[in-house]
Amino acid sequence: MSNQLEFTLKEISKSYGELHVLDKLSLEIKAKRIVAFLGPSGCGKTTLLSIIAGLKSPDNGVILGLEHKTLSYLFQEPRLLDWLTVADNLGFVLKDKISGSELAWRIDYYLEHMEILAYRHAYPRKLSGGQRQRVAMARALAYPSHLLLMDEPFKSLDLGLKLELIRRFLLLWTMEPRTVLFVTHDPKEALLLADEIYILSEKPAVIKGYHQLSLPQKQRQLTDLALLQLEQKIIKELIEKS
Amino acid sequence: MKDFTYKNSLITSVSILTFVLSWQFASSLVGKEIILPSPLLAYQTLVSLIGSKGFWLHLSATLLRGVVGFSLSYLAGLVIGLFSGLNQNFKAFFQPWLAVIRSTPSMALIVLSLIWFQSNSVTLFVTFLVVFPIIAQNVAEGIHQVDPNLKEMARLYQVRSSRVLREMYLPAILPYLAAGGAAGLGLTWKVMIAAEVFANPKMGIGTQMDTARVFLQTPEVFAWTIVVVTIGLCFDQLLNLIIRKQFLFWE
Repeated sequence: MSNQLEFTLKEISKSYGELHVLDKLSLEIKAKRIVAFLGPSGCGKTTLLSIIAGLKSPDNGVILGLEHKTLSYLFQEPRLLDWLTVADNLGFVLKDKISGSELAWRIDYYLEHMEILAYRHAYPRKLSGGQRQRVAMARALAYPSHLLLMDEPFKSLDLGLKLELIRRFLLLWTMEPRTVLFVTHDPKEALLLADEIYILSEKPAVIKGYHQLSLPQKQRQLTDLALLQLEQKIIKELIEKS
Repeated sequence: MKDFTYKNSLITSVSILTFVLSWQFASSLVGKEIILPSPLLAYQTLVSLIGSKGFWLHLSATLLRGVVGFSLSYLAGLVIGLFSGLNQNFKAFFQPWLAVIRSTPSMALIVLSLIWFQSNSVTLFVTFLVVFPIIAQNVAEGIHQVDPNLKEMARLYQVRSSRVLREMYLPAILPYLAAGGAAGLGLTWKVMIAAEVFANPKMGIGTQMDTARVFLQTPEVFAWTIVVVTIGLCFDQLLNLIIRKQFLFWE
């Protein structure tokens, strides 16, 4: 596993009026790791991602090392264009980056691995919620980026679908590893996906806990004793009053 | 669903019949065909009008003017609507213009352009000024309604602006383009005929109506009116068909 630094957050603070969302948050993110931020709903996880993505600017603090880096973003909702087919939705973000035969190949490759290739000519409205999210995931992964940010990407899916999507995600990630940051309120998602887990507190979000997982994701089972124990620990940390 | 459609068309038939009967009743009540001709006389006049040699010339002159006027308005409305929808400064700049033009009575525009222009240009100028603000407003409104989540997505993935415009904004505003088109087209015929009545171009339905008025040929005015209503309905249907076929294919 690489120990190269991807980027650093230094004392990031953000308030909305009187509401302190982030308070002097500092982090070091290593390259090609999958990092999870676990925290209660509305603790400022999405704000943190938005700041890293450059959608919002922090009131105080700096981010070092993200200059000129490209990023993909997987949102809570699929955010597909209804009037473009599944393949064209991928093309919409890819065409400016990749050209010619590689474009078609790449689109098909990622759709196939998300097992959604059969729907490449379908319009998003014809798909189920889970299928749409798979298209969004294919889009985020097919897009060549240094960094992938994911905001509760499995939130609205049932457990079976969630596990299935996590498995596919990991398969594609292994083939083309990149730094992934994702926020979730579900410890199971973090346990299955992450190399590192940060536990965030209620607003203003500060880091309450940190865990590193060394077992390769492919070998992790939710029923493993070690994972179950870690889950217990994480849940305790989550509900503990700071 | 089938019953509903059947019932609907029944109601429509009853509605039309009631209208024609009321017209007939009012006409008998007035008792003078020169003031209010009966539906039958209007129909007979229409038939002989269609057979007359000038009819198709006048009709095509008005149709041509309408199509040209509408197309120019649509193009201008689209461009100005896009700019003011995408850019706050453009919006602030064009807003007063559009507000003033929209509030100006069509008659004022007709009278002024009668002073300024030749008769042919009057009709186009007036139609243009009346119709393009409606298109512009619809387009700007459509752009405004584009999901901010999609805008954010396009921005994060650094999609080139020309592609965002072509593949995101334009399809997203198609329903608004269609609604603006329908409203604008309906208005085109009304304003166009009014302008023709006053400007009296060599050929045109409005000119014919004005001539008929001067000679107190009321049935002929009615016949031409039926022609104009028919044009409006036909174009409305055509537009509806195009919208349903082309614009909402992804539904």
